[in-house]
Amino acid sequence: MMDHDEQLKIQAYLDGELSETEAREVAIWLAQDQDAGVLLAELRNTRQGLAGYEQPVQLPESREFFWSKIEREILRQESPQTAPQIVPWWIAWRRLLMPVGGTAALVLAALIAGGLLGGSGRPAMETAAADTGALTYRDDDGGNTLVWLSYPAENEFAESQPASTLQ
Amino acid sequence: MFGSSGLRAHAEDMKLEVQLIWGTNDDQSPDKNHQPVDPDIKKRLKELPLKWSNYFLVNRKRFDVPPSATKREPLSEKCSIEVKNLGNDSIEVTQFGKGQQVWKGTQSLPKGKILFLGGKAPNETSWLVILKRIE
Amino acid sequence: MSEKDHSSADDPALVRAAQSGDMAAFEELVARHRDKIYGRAYSMMRNEEEAIDLSQEAWVKGWQRFKQFQGEASFGTWMTRIVINLCLDQLRKQKRQRTESIEAMDEESGGVERQMPVVTANPTAGLERAETRQRIDRALSQLSHEHRTVLVLHEFEEMEYKEIARTMGCSIGTVMSRLFYARRKMAVLLADMKKEGLR
Repeated sequence: MMDHDEQLKIQAYLDGELSETEAREVAIWLAQDQDAGVLLAELRNTRQGLAGYEQPVQLPESREFFWSKIEREILRQESPQTAPQIVPWWIAWRRLLMPVGGTAALVLAALIAGGLLGGSGRPAMETAAADTGALTYRDDDGGNTLVWLSYPAENEFAESQPASTLQ
Repeated sequence: MFGSSGLRAHAEDMKLEVQLIWGTNDDQSPDKNHQPVDPDIKKRLKELPLKWSNYFLVNRKRFDVPPSATKREPLSEKCSIEVKNLGNDSIEVTQFGKGQQVWKGTQSLPKGKILFLGGKAPNETSWLVILKRIE
Repeated sequence: MSEKDHSSADDPALVRAAQSGDMAAFEELVARHRDKIYGRAYSMMRNEEEAIDLSQEAWVKGWQRFKQFQGEASFGTWMTRIVINLCLDQLRKQKRQRTESIEAMDEESGGVERQMPVVTANPTAGLERAETRQRIDRALSQLSHEHRTVLVLHEFEEMEYKEIARTMGCSIGTVMSRLFYARRKMAVLLADMKKEGLR
């Protein structure tokens, strides 16, 4: 019965990670040991099965929308007035937008297109420092400032009757 | 002569309204006393990046804060808000939950602007405290 | 380079333009490689939202680090390394927050795979390409993050053990053990799927 080191050696042999000398020794062993040969075959089958068969995926956002977020973040980080942020804004605000992925993308795109999340004279979306636990969204044109607190998230209002906790 | 300081003080009192609001995707609040928020507030809430479709008014208070004074208003058994009038349309706001300070910040609040404070509540709902100037 | 030139320019030309500040050239590079970068992030995170966020972050970092790119590898490979490192950082952060299951800990210590019976038949033989891809994807999603990562880096990114160890911040021995477990587990999962297909 092979020990773990021997099993790993067979794998390393398959992957071309052994020195010439070691590889020759393993080749001799494989020719004489049936169990070792069977293990090598399994590892080789798996490797061949995977090779070139990665499932291609498409990014589920339009070119324009995806780029608009990247461009915005680049410009934001390059702006000298911007204080260092903890996280990119799209991460901080993702959870507050409508939860369905496609709808969230549309809302965000609409907000960006409508100038509410970008462009001139428009809401700053700031992430406050982690120690305050608050996110601030300010829309000077609309006259709204929203401060979203990370607490009392589940404690102050984490009672069994959601409406009664606000009484 | 008559002192003008009293008149001046009253003229500069900041008149505020605070509302405690519950945000939900349910069509109705389980509490029949809760009414949907005013249309103007609803419109403002729609402008914010929030995911809830319905908002209900839980409590509403109106109060005046003289210059340099601080006023605390309870909104529920567990939460209250404290406002200090800093002058020049500026206020210092402190949010309390279960007697503990939850948040403190300085905001400019001229007429027409609204400050929203909010956070998550159970069952994917939210609470909001809104503060605005009134005439 | 004018805007209409961008779509017909090759990657090295776009890289040169972007390095001198041409954001439109960078945007063209993003458009060309976004699926690949997103795909790599998705293969590691198995979560669409996280993969989108991390691939976005990778592009922003790519722009910031552009001056460091000397063309030692292809642009796509360079960007892939950036997103891989971001994914690994995120996985490490999540691991600190995650409660380890007993099986996961056992996988790490290297005990489980020794008990798996050897699979003798080739589990993907005779399958159509699309079906093979789907089965492999399903099987990959059933591995732990650590095992899937080492498999992705070795089999799809064709990294050597040493490079994987450096990238993942672990020893070569750990890379070898994880890779061994991941392959053996994949063999069993694919064989089970083949049996299901035959019923």
